[in-house]
Amino acid sequence: MSLFKRSGLILMIAMSLFSCKEDEVVECEGPVEMLRVTVQPVYGSEELYLDSSYVTVEGYDVRFTDIKFYMENPRNGSAQLIDAGLFDYRERGTLLLEAEGAYQNFNSINANLGVHSSINHNDPAAFDNESMLNISNSNDMHWGWSPGYIFMKVEAKVDTIADGNPLFDHNVVFHIGMDENFQTLTFPNVTWSDLGTAHEFALKLDMYNFLQNGAVTIDLKNEYTSHTAPGQEVLSAKVISNFRDALTPL
Amino acid sequence: MKYLILIFGVAIVILACKKEKVEYVQTPYELKIPSHFPTMIIPEDNPMTVEGVALGRKLFYEKKLSGDNTQSCATCHAPSSAFSDPEQFSTGIDGLQGDRNSMALINLGWNTSFFWDGRSATLEEQIIQPVINPIEMHEEWKNVVSKLNADVNYRNMFFKAFNSSEIDSLNSAKAIAQFLRTLISGSSKYDVMYKYQNGFSLSASELAIYQTITLEEWSGYDLFASLNGADCFHCHNGPLMQVQKFSNNGLDATFTDLGRGDVTGNPSDFGKFKVPTLRNIAYTAPYMHDGRFGTLDEVIDHYSHGIEQSATLDPLIEYAFQGGVQLDAFEKNLLKQFLLTMTDESFVNNPDFQEPQ
Repeated sequence: MSLFKRSGLILMIAMSLFSCKEDEVVECEGPVEMLRVTVQPVYGSEELYLDSSYVTVEGYDVRFTDIKFYMENPRNGSAQLIDAGLFDYRERGTLLLEAEGAYQNFNSINANLGVHSSINHNDPAAFDNESMLNISNSNDMHWGWSPGYIFMKVEAKVDTIADGNPLFDHNVVFHIGMDENFQTLTFPNVTWSDLGTAHEFALKLDMYNFLQNGAVTIDLKNEYTSHTAPGQEVLSAKVISNFRDALTPL
Repeated sequence: MKYLILIFGVAIVILACKKEKVEYVQTPYELKIPSHFPTMIIPEDNPMTVEGVALGRKLFYEKKLSGDNTQSCATCHAPSSAFSDPEQFSTGIDGLQGDRNSMALINLGWNTSFFWDGRSATLEEQIIQPVINPIEMHEEWKNVVSKLNADVNYRNMFFKAFNSSEIDSLNSAKAIAQFLRTLISGSSKYDVMYKYQNGFSLSASELAIYQTITLEEWSGYDLFASLNGADCFHCHNGPLMQVQKFSNNGLDATFTDLGRGDVTGNPSDFGKFKVPTLRNIAYTAPYMHDGRFGTLDEVIDHYSHGIEQSATLDPLIEYAFQGGVQLDAFEKNLLKQFLLTMTDESFVNNPDFQEPQ
């Protein structure tokens, strides 16, 4: 081997030694399985859009402007999906909650419509930032410490005068909370759809049924406001129980 | 052999030589968040640092951000007015005026949208706009960058804040955003009332303030939060005294300014504007998106008797059918007394928020 070749070889070895760098070992984890629960608002057989007109049984035109509710502690036995989901149709669309988990663990779900009294009156700023119960996320769904959270909220504008003039000047406000109105939800046979990147359990919220729950009707002309205040107990109970019954698997 | 050793030596030197990058280690900035406030979410790409806040503060008061070097952010967001403008409409460098009142910059770190119409989703995004707005500072960012680059002090400050001597609009906005996130107001008489009502322990100084709360102020608080009183709390509550939403609060039956509707194009958003905080309201006159009300009395009169019906009127204004909540003169005065408890002198006069010398 000539001197030139030998020196070239040494040089290459030297370069290799200096350029070699130990690669960082990356430990691979399996893909995180995501579970989503969605709620599609409908009005009878049609999809419901905010600010669009629908006709009530009484013949009034109603435009829903806000639909929100808390689903707290969705669980199957001791397995909890998430601490709380917040449905906010205007701001978050149909998403109620998204959490890591194995769908096989949730073939049945029990949950709370509202926030259980054990945490309803806690400091809303003290929940984790990611929690929908944190005051930054609850936003206008928190009344203050003493009354706690608004469990469900429906706001709407109604045209109660069938004169062809769509005024929609009749305001509907249902803000239901307080421990005595706490409700439970049970979905015994949960079917998860495989979306590829996540599994989804889809619910529907039928606002027609909300107003017309069998014989238990809400006439928006006469029953249009409840803030769960004293004197509004009967309407508050009717509103939240109708809301609970309107929420079913899609 | 000598050549071989020489080549080998040179190769080693070349390979071993590596340009050392000079790095500056920033000091994390600890926000002074009141105990009854939620945690502030800081964007991952813009962590709070002492150097970033200092730069942002300097930039906030920097007139080079405007086309003729006469206006800074503070021109329309004066500390003495709780970082708002006492004029109905701010006047830009060309003598032009907009049609919306300059918003107060208070507790912005907890806001989820910016501008009256919410067209910016982040503070960083919002800060870019007034500089290039032709009726405001009317400047191009490339010129601003050039002006700042000519100042060695700024080059040093940018380097310390971002580990890069490159000055650009994004880093400028990030620095100003860091400063704005420090503008926290949570030390008013209202805060003591809120903490007392919700069972927080009060410090000695807060207890002293508590002793000064008048019966009128407590009564005004009751009215403020009462469904059958002034009913303000649906949109203004909690430690921030605002909820994050857009609302048509009954100012007009028809709209000359579509507000949020201009951004979304959705007719159901016509006439809606961002709900502002009521903190330091005594300092933030005039009021409403167009600054139409010069005094708190006018504001209270509006909600009491002046509500205008329209298709997008917020359903929460439940007494709209009778023009408002119908407060009498005595109640109006109580409500005003409560509104004044939201004045936070330590915020307005905070030396850390003033123009750096």
